[in-house]
Amino acid sequence: MSAPLNFIVVDDSKLDCFIAEKIIKNTGRSETVSAFQQATDALVFIKTLPATSTPTVVFVDIQMPVMNGFEFVEAFEALPENIRQGYSIYMLSSSINENDIAKVKGYSSVKQFLNKPLTNNTITIVLEHFT
Amino acid sequence: MSNKDKIKVLYIDDEQNNLVSFKAAFRFDYNVYIANNTDEAIAHLRQHHDISVILSDQKMPDKTGVEFFEEIRKEFPNPVRILITGYADIESVINAINRGHVFRYIKKPWSEDDIRSSIDQAHKFYITTALLAIKNDELQKAYNELDKFAYSATHDMRGPILSVLGIIDLSKNTDDVGEIKSMLDMMENAMLKLDNYIQNLHDYYSIRRGEVEIEEIQFADLSKEVSDIYEVTSKMNNVRFNCAVSQTETFRSDDVSLKIILNNLLSNAFKYQQKDKTDRFVDLNIEVVKGIANITVKDNGIGIQENNINQIFNMFFRATNEEVGSGFGLYNVKDALGKLNGKIHVQSTYGEGTTFIVTIPSK
Repeated sequence: MSAPLNFIVVDDSKLDCFIAEKIIKNTGRSETVSAFQQATDALVFIKTLPATSTPTVVFVDIQMPVMNGFEFVEAFEALPENIRQGYSIYMLSSSINENDIAKVKGYSSVKQFLNKPLTNNTITIVLEHFT
Repeated sequence: MSNKDKIKVLYIDDEQNNLVSFKAAFRFDYNVYIANNTDEAIAHLRQHHDISVILSDQKMPDKTGVEFFEEIRKEFPNPVRILITGYADIESVINAINRGHVFRYIKKPWSEDDIRSSIDQAHKFYITTALLAIKNDELQKAYNELDKFAYSATHDMRGPILSVLGIIDLSKNTDDVGEIKSMLDMMENAMLKLDNYIQNLHDYYSIRRGEVEIEEIQFADLSKEVSDIYEVTSKMNNVRFNCAVSQTETFRSDDVSLKIILNNLLSNAFKYQQKDKTDRFVDLNIEVVKGIANITVKDNGIGIQENNINQIFNMFFRATNEEVGSGFGLYNVKDALGKLNGKIHVQSTYGEGTTFIVTIPSK
């Protein structure tokens, strides 16, 4: 049996948060799922979270008002290392923008760029990396 | 032709006689400025930015005409340059023309017809170049907007579609009718969002490309028509809606643009309300005074943060996550106002409310 994981979903669309939550829960791998419509709220949450040995998978949408996905990742990478440990970030977008895809590769904390919507198939492939 | 409409010409020559006879010959046809050294010439150019043609003698004591043109080209790139010269300097003239610094040369002694036709052609060239620069700017702006648009279109138009596809994928795994029904509601919302975006897009293009149709405007009718739409929203969301119109004079404007302005401002006012507040309101006040329509849309909603106020009229800018917005609305308002020569002013306190004040002159 694979180890349980924590999940964080950041997406300004309530609907997409709901979809992601459902799909994550369907995998049976989630110890916790936390969804945020504001990237700033997600950051505060990460900062105040007590240390845990359970790895955390973060799905973050790129295009969001106020703080977009890239700004979120930059703010995350500025956090102290002991906080950042155990996080794997995946960036999601509905835009087929080459610049965005290239930009994602520039962030060391980002594992991969994923196309929206998050589906059972995509998440299964992602979770193969966490055994 | 009034003095103002005349072509402005600067003539520079170190020989006072030439200057005098030039001015005497052309002062009726052109607005002539004369200078007998380069400093004086530059002073004229700095003072009169609309000088379109410069004629310079080639042989001057402090520097040659070609040198003078080279020197001023950076600071005054627009005026068209004509060199006046004798046969002796033909080599340097050919060089200057070939390097593109001089539009034309006139040989001494000049004939009035030569000068006249050269100035007229130079001015035409000046106007064409100026128009081209304006068109270029417009084109650049259109390109930038198109880039932004293409980027946003994939997000805002594909977004809801992908959401629905996601839900469909999910719904395949459930037999619970209640859950499926709630998923249908979500799909409906996603489609409404997409529809709203497309409506806004339509507005955007009707303002952009559409002709302005000026007609007499009865603000009472107009506001009634627009208010009817918000009557329902007002009741459903428990937001007080007050509408006051005062118009005693005729007002002429474009009906479609006015509706786009009112619709967007009102829809924002109703949308960005504070959810937990009890006494919520939207006030629409229209007053026509001395050929100017003053439209005020006031709410006690969430307000706009100070650092965002300057950006709210930008295309696709969104200041908040709170509600569904396309980032199109206020951009369309500003665009429509541009067509009507109107102005918009915003006062807002974050957490207290926002007031938009629109002034539009009658056409």
